[in-house]
Amino acid sequence: MHIAEGFLPPAHAVAWGVASAPFVVHGVRALNREVREHPESTLLLGASGAFTFVLSALKLPSVTGSCSHPTGTGLGAILFRPPIMAVLGTITLLFQALLLAHGGLTTLGANVFSMAIVGPWAGYGMYRLLRRYDVPLMVAVFFGAFVADLSTYCVTSVQLALAFPDPSSGFLGALGKFGSIFAVTQIPLAVSEGLLTVLVMRLLVQSSKGELTRLGVLVTGRQAQNGTEAVAR
Amino acid sequence: MLPIDAAAHSSRWRHRHPVDKAVLGLGLTVLAISLPPWPGAALVLVTALALLLGPAGVPARRLWRAYRVPLGFCATGAVTLLVQVGGPEGFVSLADGGPVRAGELMLRTSAASLGVLLFAFTTPMSDLLPRLVRAGVPAPVVDVALVTYRMSFLLLDSVRRIREAQAARLGHTSRAAEWRSLAGLGATAFVRAFDRAARLQAGLAGRGYDGTLRVLVPEARVSVRFTVAGAGLLVALATLTFVLERPLS
Repeated sequence: MHIAEGFLPPAHAVAWGVASAPFVVHGVRALNREVREHPESTLLLGASGAFTFVLSALKLPSVTGSCSHPTGTGLGAILFRPPIMAVLGTITLLFQALLLAHGGLTTLGANVFSMAIVGPWAGYGMYRLLRRYDVPLMVAVFFGAFVADLSTYCVTSVQLALAFPDPSSGFLGALGKFGSIFAVTQIPLAVSEGLLTVLVMRLLVQSSKGELTRLGVLVTGRQAQNGTEAVAR
Repeated sequence: MLPIDAAAHSSRWRHRHPVDKAVLGLGLTVLAISLPPWPGAALVLVTALALLLGPAGVPARRLWRAYRVPLGFCATGAVTLLVQVGGPEGFVSLADGGPVRAGELMLRTSAASLGVLLFAFTTPMSDLLPRLVRAGVPAPVVDVALVTYRMSFLLLDSVRRIREAQAARLGHTSRAAEWRSLAGLGATAFVRAFDRAARLQAGLAGRGYDGTLRVLVPEARVSVRFTVAGAGLLVALATLTFVLERPLS
C-alpha cells in the first residue's frame, strides 16, 4: 500500500524523509563500494532493480477473490540484502510515482521507510534468524517474505495513524482503525506473498544455482566448509 | 513503454529543460499540501488541470487513465476519516467534522497528484535521470537507475508475453495452475533480468566499458522566462488563496 501523493501533512512528509535518509545513504555507500570494486555490478544491480519493479507489477490472486500485488521486499532483501534494497526500493518507488502515478514524491520518504527499509530489514532479520537455527531454506523464505510484507503494512498503519489521529480516541484509535482495515486484506496477502516467494525461490534453486550462489543465498561446499572452520576457530 | 512516459516523449514541452517543468509541476504539488485546502488546493487543482489540458497538450483520456489511480487511493483513504472509534455514541460512529476533513484531504491529494502528473507527463525519464548527477546524486546510483529504467520495459514486455503463453497453455484455468504460472513468471523474470545483464556486460566489455554508462542527453537550456513565469504563477496562487480564504470560509 503506497501512501498517495499529498496524503501526508508537510511536517510528516519531511519527518519521514529525514528518518529514511540515513538508511538510504548507508545503502548508497554500500552500492558505491560494490560498484567501485566490481564495475560490472552496475548492470546486475540495474537488473535487480528492474526485477523488483516488475515483481511489484505482478497481480497476486487474493483469498478474498480480488487481486493485489506483492511488495517484493522480502524476496529482494533475501536476494540482494537490505542496504542495497534501500537504494533499489527508493529507485523503484520513484519510478512508480512518476511512471505509474502510484505513491508520490512528497510521500516518497514515508513509502521508502515502510517498503524499502522496515520491510526488507524485518524480513531479512527473520530469514537470517531462522537460517541460523538450521530451519529449512523454504520455511525461512516463507517467514521472511511474510514478515516483510506484514511489517510494511504495520508501519504504513502507524504513519497514517500519526498523520490522522482519531477525533475521539487519538493515535491508538486511528491505529486500530487503519490496522483493522489492513488486517482484513493484508494478512491473507502476506500469506499469499510468502507462498509465492517460496514457489519463486524453488524454481530459482532449480534454474539459477549460479546466481543464487553469487548472491550468497546458497553456499557452495567450500564456503560451507570455510564457515564451519571459522566457527570452529 | 509505460503510457505516462510514452506521452512525455511526445509532449509539447518535451524539449524544455526538466528544471523549468519541475519548478512549475512540483511547485504546484508543494503549494497543494502547504496551502489551506479551501480555497488553496482547489485553486491549484484547477490551475494544474488547465495547464495539463491546455499549454502542455496532454490528451484528456490519457490524463484520466493516469489520474484515476491516485484518485482511487485518495478516496479509499478519505473514507476512514468519516468514522471515529470509541466515544459516547458507540464503538464506531460517524466522526464530527469527518466529511469536511475527508473533503479537504481529497482536495489536497487530488491537487498534489495533478502537480506531479504535470511534471511526469512532460518529462521523459531518460531526460531526467542523467541530469540527476548534476543535482548531487552519486553517479553509480544514477547508472543503476538508468539500467533499471531501460531494463524494466524489456522485462515488462517479456512478462506480458510469458503470461499470454501461459494463458494459451491453460495456465490460468484453476487456482493451483494460476499460482504455478505466477511463480514461473516471477522466476523467469529473475532469470531473464540476470541473463540480459550478463549479455549487456559482455557487449559493453567489448566496447571498453569502464563502469560508467555514458548516454546522450538531449540539449536543453533552463528558460529564465518560463521559470520566472512559473514561479510568478505559484506566488499569485498563494496570494489569491490568502486573499480569498476569509471571504470564502
